[in-house]
Amino acid sequence: MKIIGHSYINPKGAFLNGQNVLIATEENYLKSYFSELEIDYSKFYKMDLLSKAAFLGDYLLRNSYKDLLNVENELQFVFANASSSKETDIRFIESYEHKKNPSPSLFVYTLPNILTGELAIKHKWFGENIFYILTKFDSDFFNDQIAMSFLRGNEYCLCGWVEMTGSPEDECFMFLVAKSEVVNENLSNKLNEILNNYRNE
Amino acid sequence: MSELKEQLKSQIIEQLNLEDLTPADIKNDSFLFGDEGLGLDSIDALEFIVLLDSFYGIKIEDPAAAREIFHSVDSMAAFIESKK
Amino acid sequence: MGEESKLERSLKCYLKYGAIISPLGDSIEEHYLAFFENKSGIRKEEKTGFNAENLFLAKIEGLENSRYNALLKQACEKLIENYSSSFLQNPKTGIIVSTTKANLAAITTDAFESTRKIIDEIIHPFHEPIIISNACISGVLAVNTAADYIRLNKFDQVIIIGIDVLSDFIIYGFQSLFALSNEACRPFDKERKGISLGEACGILVMKNTPDEDFNVEVVGGASSNDANHISGPSRTGEGLFRAINKTLERSEVSKEEIDFISAHGTATLYNDEMEAIAFSRLGLCHIPTNSFKGYFGHTLGAAGIIEIIMCMVSMEKNVLFKSIGYSEIGTTETLNVISENRNMEVNTVLKTASGFGGGNAAVLLKCIQ
Repeated sequence: MKIIGHSYINPKGAFLNGQNVLIATEENYLKSYFSELEIDYSKFYKMDLLSKAAFLGDYLLRNSYKDLLNVENELQFVFANASSSKETDIRFIESYEHKKNPSPSLFVYTLPNILTGELAIKHKWFGENIFYILTKFDSDFFNDQIAMSFLRGNEYCLCGWVEMTGSPEDECFMFLVAKSEVVNENLSNKLNEILNNYRNE
Repeated sequence: MSELKEQLKSQIIEQLNLEDLTPADIKNDSFLFGDEGLGLDSIDALEFIVLLDSFYGIKIEDPAAAREIFHSVDSMAAFIESKK
Repeated sequence: MGEESKLERSLKCYLKYGAIISPLGDSIEEHYLAFFENKSGIRKEEKTGFNAENLFLAKIEGLENSRYNALLKQACEKLIENYSSSFLQNPKTGIIVSTTKANLAAITTDAFESTRKIIDEIIHPFHEPIIISNACISGVLAVNTAADYIRLNKFDQVIIIGIDVLSDFIIYGFQSLFALSNEACRPFDKERKGISLGEACGILVMKNTPDEDFNVEVVGGASSNDANHISGPSRTGEGLFRAINKTLERSEVSKEEIDFISAHGTATLYNDEMEAIAFSRLGLCHIPTNSFKGYFGHTLGAAGIIEIIMCMVSMEKNVLFKSIGYSEIGTTETLNVISENRNMEVNTVLKTASGFGGGNAAVLLKCIQ
């Protein structure tokens, strides 16, 4: 297993492969990163926090995808978080409790795996997807998932820990892993090291 | 009628979370669901149904039959006027 | 890589019944009887809609608040009646939970906390539950993931729980999409008008060794995204087509060997049409097919699990169950929808699922007796 690229987004900044590439210029930091990157994708504005964050995290990684082969079939999404779609769930409840009608455009985002759907649509990737709920980021868990994915015949895993509840601790950590001949690289330790560095930026 | 149309445009932007748009960006006669319009989809059409109920008290029972109403700001305004 | 392939092929995965609780009862026997009589768990429930409409739901009677917690407790208690502590608490026993909303009543704090707590209190597994929340394909994904863990030799057995309960949240949400029928759902039928929501908890136990009696092997499975729309299915059934194709490839099973297809069949215009197109593209239209949604309603995170349980009953009793709600085909491609219960040898079953987020999943099951 080999990490080809990784990105990190939080309320302070956006990072790619360990380098700070953007600094938040407003409280609506996801919108500010989107504007600064000058991305042409109007669907972004309809997305909830989870999908917006994952979309941006994925966009930062775009150069890593350039040389990948047969990615539309053999790239699996493996994503997780602790709070599922909590932030959107609460807004959906508000739409029918305090406002007058349940909102369909909110309801469709009240599932955490929608973010993988948004990425699949953007790229036209038809590969396998799965979303897990963990108590916290667990590098050993991701290691197992990736191993299982490769055993099944996939070539790449795009993984993400997307914890977005509208709090200062929100973060979106994404990493792209490829099958590799190198057996002795300890993926789990490497992931922890990368994430800790990002968190301490 | 033009005041209603301007109001509608603001409501559309708010209801559909179209943060990057202002009312000036929406033409009265553009096909809202086309690429020259706002590139909206079937879920947005359902939000229009919510909009008509929440802001104008008009209830739509059949989303398929409602497609014509949501064609453009012009057609929506005409429909709302007809229900007064 | 050679060593790894050997590992994968030599470790097999066998399913056993764990527990099942739905409006049709709380045992396999009760469910078999209900299915034998084509009894549906869907009823008219007064004033359950957003505007106090009457809706057709498959609701479990007598669950106390929080209903999710009560249902999970009941099902776990059923499980421990049939499996020993040494089995359930073994370090090589994993546990996976498939749910879309978990204990939604606790959403402002943590909707998943009670799941871990209840499982810990009743089952005391060695490992924390692995929770899958991937819309309506979660159940099939859970079974495929359990098989992966066994093939990786991480676990020797896996408890797989699928559970979701009805709520205003879910009901109003589907209403806002105009996706609910105003009568009991009619999968694949010409007059179908949408979903009947339901609730249930199903538990499967997967082991890497077969028992003396009836075993169902999980031969292979796969998932695939439509890459088309976050809540509507692909018009060409692209994701489902690929998921089934990959499943058959990984299982090394040809379509000629499939005896029965348990489809997703939610009874929306779009889902059933999409499934029929996907099945047609794969040359599967002649295979006896049903949807279990006419019995259970659409149980979201529980669907894959309880429907696989009923596939196992089909294989154990060698019976094909009628697709309740169906009388005349209403999809562009004609499927061989099972219109009456009939006895037939059922050895190889394809289970499919589709869900929000563009997800599609399939699993291939084989009866070993």
